[in-house]
Amino acid sequence: MKNHFDTWGLVALAVVLAVLPFTASGYVLYIVNLLMIYIVLALGLHLVIGETGQFALSHAAFYGIGIYAAGIINNTWHPNFVVSVLAAGAITAALGYLLGALAIRMRDIYLALSTFAFGEAMQWVFLNWTEVTNGSNGYQMSPARFFGFELTSDLGAYPFVVLGAALMLWLTVRLSRSQLGAAFRAVRESDVAARAMGIDANVVKRVAFMCSAAYAGVAGGLYTTFASFIHPESLGFWTTILILIMIVVGGIGSVRGAVVGAVIFGLISELLRQVLSFQEIIYGLILIGFMMFAPRGLFSGRARARKASPGGAGRAGA
Amino acid sequence: MSFADIWLFLQQGVWSGLVTGSVYALLAVAVVIVFKTTDVPNFAQGEIFMVGGYVALFMILVPGWHYAVVIPATLAAVAVICALFQRVVMERVIRAKGVGVQLVIATLGLAYVLKGAVRQTGLGDSPRSLPALVSSDTVMIGDAVLTRLDLMILGAAIVVMLALYVLFNHTRIGKAMRAVGMNPRAAQIVGVSLVRIRMAVWALAGLISAVSAILITPKILITPDIGHVAILAFAAAIVGGITSIPGAVVGGFIIGVAENLVGLFVSTNAIVVAPFLAILIVLIVRPQGILGGKAQVKKV
Repeated sequence: MKNHFDTWGLVALAVVLAVLPFTASGYVLYIVNLLMIYIVLALGLHLVIGETGQFALSHAAFYGIGIYAAGIINNTWHPNFVVSVLAAGAITAALGYLLGALAIRMRDIYLALSTFAFGEAMQWVFLNWTEVTNGSNGYQMSPARFFGFELTSDLGAYPFVVLGAALMLWLTVRLSRSQLGAAFRAVRESDVAARAMGIDANVVKRVAFMCSAAYAGVAGGLYTTFASFIHPESLGFWTTILILIMIVVGGIGSVRGAVVGAVIFGLISELLRQVLSFQEIIYGLILIGFMMFAPRGLFSGRARARKASPGGAGRAGA
Repeated sequence: MSFADIWLFLQQGVWSGLVTGSVYALLAVAVVIVFKTTDVPNFAQGEIFMVGGYVALFMILVPGWHYAVVIPATLAAVAVICALFQRVVMERVIRAKGVGVQLVIATLGLAYVLKGAVRQTGLGDSPRSLPALVSSDTVMIGDAVLTRLDLMILGAAIVVMLALYVLFNHTRIGKAMRAVGMNPRAAQIVGVSLVRIRMAVWALAGLISAVSAILITPKILITPDIGHVAILAFAAAIVGGITSIPGAVVGGFIIGVAENLVGLFVSTNAIVVAPFLAILIVLIVRPQGILGGKAQVKKV
């Protein structure tokens, strides 16, 4: 039954997304593009926090590195945007693997705070490495290209962003059903027990960091296909927190939750721009309300039921 | 730079660092006591501090009360806000089987609400500071120049720290707080009410935040975004060991002095990033902090 639910949900979503460009205005398409980016970011954070249980709060930093990397590549060589997106993902993956070394030395709050410190330090680099990032004036990016076409509008980038997000979603599901996904979850439940079963927990943790960072880098690369400007202010701790909120509200450890959470909180943070003066109060109350009345997230009931069932494959959550 | 200059800078940096560091130390203590007893890194710490400053500012500007009334009223108001938040929101999250990350997000929610509420009052539209408690005449200590206000900040902070020492070592409620921090279950069995103690700890954290806000706001300008100083408090708590109260005090002074020395010797631009580097280095080299005791190994 669950599979039917998912299949029909995806079909309905695909139809809506296919019809949308013919009916909606540029602003709506921009929002949808942004939501797709949020979904990719949330999936990336889901891999490291939800699947592997490593509290990495450096997501916005990798997102930023992805944006700057893709933007600089676009500005210098004007390649096909696929190249710059993949390059951004590769660069952040390498850095993520390096940062994953932190997870070998520490856990929980210590890991959260050290990755948080890394994130803040990266934002400082974005702000102060003026020769490369143009510092606090923000960075102007030339339009991405696709076989000679310039993607100058939200509409032009829309199909690629949607396809990119769909691809990442498919990849996430594949990943969590693979042996690596099982290793991720084993490390989450207990890295000592995982080691006893022959899983190299240190490598698994670093690979989780690497995957998560690669997702953030790809999200950054996709962002450059429809946006032409980035400011370091939007790459700080609060962006990471927004993504964290998405996966927590969706239900930690659930792919569905990450997607739905990304859509809900992407929309909330966008809609709240309309009521600027009450934005923060409403946003804070929503957070408190969710945590008071549905702290386990929207998609946790399902996951718990499966864990309890005999012979169930654990909290696969895919 | 000649040797005499370096010596002068060093003295100035250390003394100014001790003054700002004393405020970081107080905030770090607030972070540590909440973390020890409720397992929550309180991400609203900075905003609670900020609200302390604005409540005092409001009472001085609008009804025009005297400091003698404003100070106790501010302390009480902030402590009550914190205690209510713990009692109403956090207890509910705990009962709904929320774990660390949910509790953290609830504190982030509080941070947003407090910031938004202060903006609504309109006081935050321009940077402000409180009228001075004491004159800002300068005092020379060695070659370093401080103001009377600086000395009062440092002195008052040390008095508060001593009071906390007495509270945690020689009173029933202080010992109960420590017991909950060590082993909540055992504390409950010997008759400590967890709900009441957690509330008291949050109230105490609010009280400390309000004290530090009243101490430092005559010296600096505050805006609704001043809450980011909590990052320095977290840095201080980590440097000292996040479960150690003396560690938090030591860490606060270290961060304060380091910040000032970096500003004087490297560049003012580097001040912002120094605490993060401190966090990273300490966590990589000695994750449990300076006074954090032995590193704990989690067993299955």
